[in-house]
Amino acid sequence: MRILDIAAKDIQQILRDWKSALFLLIMPVLFTIFFGLVFGPVTSGDRQRDPRLPIGLINQDPGGQLSDSLEELIGQSAVIRPIRLGQEAAERAVDRIEQGDLVAVVRIPVGYSQAVSAGQPISLEVITNQQTPSGRTALIALDTVTGRLFGAVESAHISVEAYQSRIGFDGDAARQTAFQEAFQRAVLAWGSPPLTVQVEQATGTPAPGGRGVISNGFTQSSAGMIVQFSVFGLITSAMLLVLERKNRCLQRLLTTPISRAEVIGGHLLAMFLVVFVQEALLIFLGQFAFGVNYLREPLAILIMMLALAFWAACLGLLIGALARKEDQVIVLCLGAMFFFSALGGAWFPLDVAGKAFSSIGHVLPSAWAMDGFQNIILRGMGFGSVLLPAGLLLVYALAFFGLALWRFSFE
Amino acid sequence: MPDGVAIRAQDLQKQFRAVSAVRGVSFEVRAGEIFSLLGPNGAGKSTTIAMLSCLLQPTQGDASVCGHSIRQSPQRVKACLGVVPQDIALYLDLSARENLEFWGKMYGLRGATLRQRVAEVLAIIGLTERQKDKVGTFSGGMQRRVNIGAALLHRPDVIIMDEPTVGIDPQSRRHILDNVKELNRQGMTVLYTTHYMEEAQELSHQIAIMDQGKIIVCGTHAELIRLVGERTRLDLTLHSEDDALVACWRSIAGVHSLSADHGRLTLLVDDSNLVLPRLFETAAQVGVRITSVTIEEPNLEAVFLHLTGKALRDAL
Ligand SMILES: Nc1ncnc2c1ncn2[C@@H]1O[C@H](COP(=O)(O)OP(=O)(O)OP(=O)(O)O)[C@@H](O)[C@H]1O
Ligand SMILES: [Mg+2]
Repeated sequence: MRILDIAAKDIQQILRDWKSALFLLIMPVLFTIFFGLVFGPVTSGDRQRDPRLPIGLINQDPGGQLSDSLEELIGQSAVIRPIRLGQEAAERAVDRIEQGDLVAVVRIPVGYSQAVSAGQPISLEVITNQQTPSGRTALIALDTVTGRLFGAVESAHISVEAYQSRIGFDGDAARQTAFQEAFQRAVLAWGSPPLTVQVEQATGTPAPGGRGVISNGFTQSSAGMIVQFSVFGLITSAMLLVLERKNRCLQRLLTTPISRAEVIGGHLLAMFLVVFVQEALLIFLGQFAFGVNYLREPLAILIMMLALAFWAACLGLLIGALARKEDQVIVLCLGAMFFFSALGGAWFPLDVAGKAFSSIGHVLPSAWAMDGFQNIILRGMGFGSVLLPAGLLLVYALAFFGLALWRFSFE
Repeated sequence: MPDGVAIRAQDLQKQFRAVSAVRGVSFEVRAGEIFSLLGPNGAGKSTTIAMLSCLLQPTQGDASVCGHSIRQSPQRVKACLGVVPQDIALYLDLSARENLEFWGKMYGLRGATLRQRVAEVLAIIGLTERQKDKVGTFSGGMQRRVNIGAALLHRPDVIIMDEPTVGIDPQSRRHILDNVKELNRQGMTVLYTTHYMEEAQELSHQIAIMDQGKIIVCGTHAELIRLVGERTRLDLTLHSEDDALVACWRSIAGVHSLSADHGRLTLLVDDSNLVLPRLFETAAQVGVRITSVTIEEPNLEAVFLHLTGKALRDAL
């Protein structure tokens, strides 16, 4: 009961401090908007919104029926996205692949349509770096597309032959038309391709198909700022602890029948509740103002919120235990915020910075907090995907709690 | 309370690394009494109180409060004790009422009882009108009163007050002293520490004088004064202090003790009629002007001077 009294008193003090609203809510919302816009404006057709791998396309057989169909098929691919290149751009293709601008460049050679429909051997020219996963992925996707094209040509031939042998055509033009119709039907018949390859891009969105995933710049910034400000928001609650020690109230508490454990428990509870409510408000805004779909897995999100709030509360307690003066609280909170946010992937996705950076980042609990949220809102994964991140956060929380208890002084 | 003793300290000692803050303190406070610990800064008053209120473990010795040992059952001690700390230990961003409610809850009060007690205590400390104002906006004296109020909510049998009147205006001080007497009249046992001898004199049934971690004497006001006998205290101010003169005065027959501090001197003498002329005479010889003289009846200041050779204010 006294635990609740202490927590209630803390919350009363926190709510009374005008800075709380600033640190807990106003700043995170502003930063969510700012980073959200940096990561990608919400206008449609934006590069960030198309997660498919960009490949350059040079069509040297324009007007050919099959080459046009091929272009169309590539355009429909879930994996690759064609960007038409002119002749002069084609000369710099290799450079652009090296720069990472393009994943591959495909050239449809002169006479491609003619050769394919005549059953003569001809192949697309593909330039890519097979060392990279995206290069290999693009190749497989291209194979799938050409496979569909050849399949359609083949089945069109078969149906034209069959008609020829049973009924016969009224001249070459009629035969040609029949072939075209059969070919179109065959292409359309591939409603669902036999092989799909899913790509996940470092900056962004998964392959379409993750149920209910909406991806925009806010998917990164909303989750990122929740993690960042769960740490920074501790400034007010950790400050209370330091002030309580400084103005001797902590000592006075010990002259009352309350136990030390209750005092610490009460403060921890207050910090936990403050962060939890903060998360809830930011998630509400994320869902309804920024279009981030947290609620596609409500239970998973709840678990992440609890785990993050618990870890943050333990960090707050540790800061309150380490800091002796008010300015030390500010320094420690700011330091912790920069450290855990920047290295934990709250500002930018860790994968962007490379594998090494990402693995280093995952030493931090904040990286796991980001993972947990993004598994749901970005990667379209299910409930089970938050169990490891939440579990690890809990372990970190206990470790921080232990440190806090060790350093905690009532004097 | 067993055998009518509210607090019994037995050879309490506290050592902080190199510092011996309390060096074997024993005393008894009878139930219903106001007991003062009088002593200069650093005498060990607060440390003694910290041990009695279970904030500090004694290095040696034990004490019982309301019959409960501070070593064996600190929780019981805390429940029957109200402690007014020397520093103002309140939440400055909460109102007087909110502070009292919070501290009341810490002592286990709830609901209607809590509300009623808070109202009563606000009336006692005379802050009913200002109850909604933040304590941070209060004057030092008002904060002191809330500081006391927070220890009264659970109607403790025993209240310990550590220098509750330090640095406040005369009006607030008067209010607090009257509060203490009234609480005591209602049956509360009070352990009161101060370095103002007037307060100890006015309030206490028993006074213990403490210096350098020890109780040097303990008794009623009358008993303590009797220690000084028929001696008179002289307070003198010199235009300029002169070491040779002070040394000379010490050797005058009938001067028992003398303390000097920047031209302010306190002497304990057998008969001021005999000594005073000698003082003026010797001062004139060395050319030092005596700018003021007061002749006082013996008081606690004199007792302290008599026992330690220091004026209470010198030791401050
Ligand atoms: N926590 C501590 N660590 C080290 N020394 C201490 C500590 N607390 C008190 N002391 C020392 O113990 C001695 C007694 O201090 P205490 O505060 O008990 O005196 P006091 O009689 O209450 O004085 P005051 O009138 O100034 O409050 C002092 O010399 C003080 O410096
Ligand atoms: Mg003291």
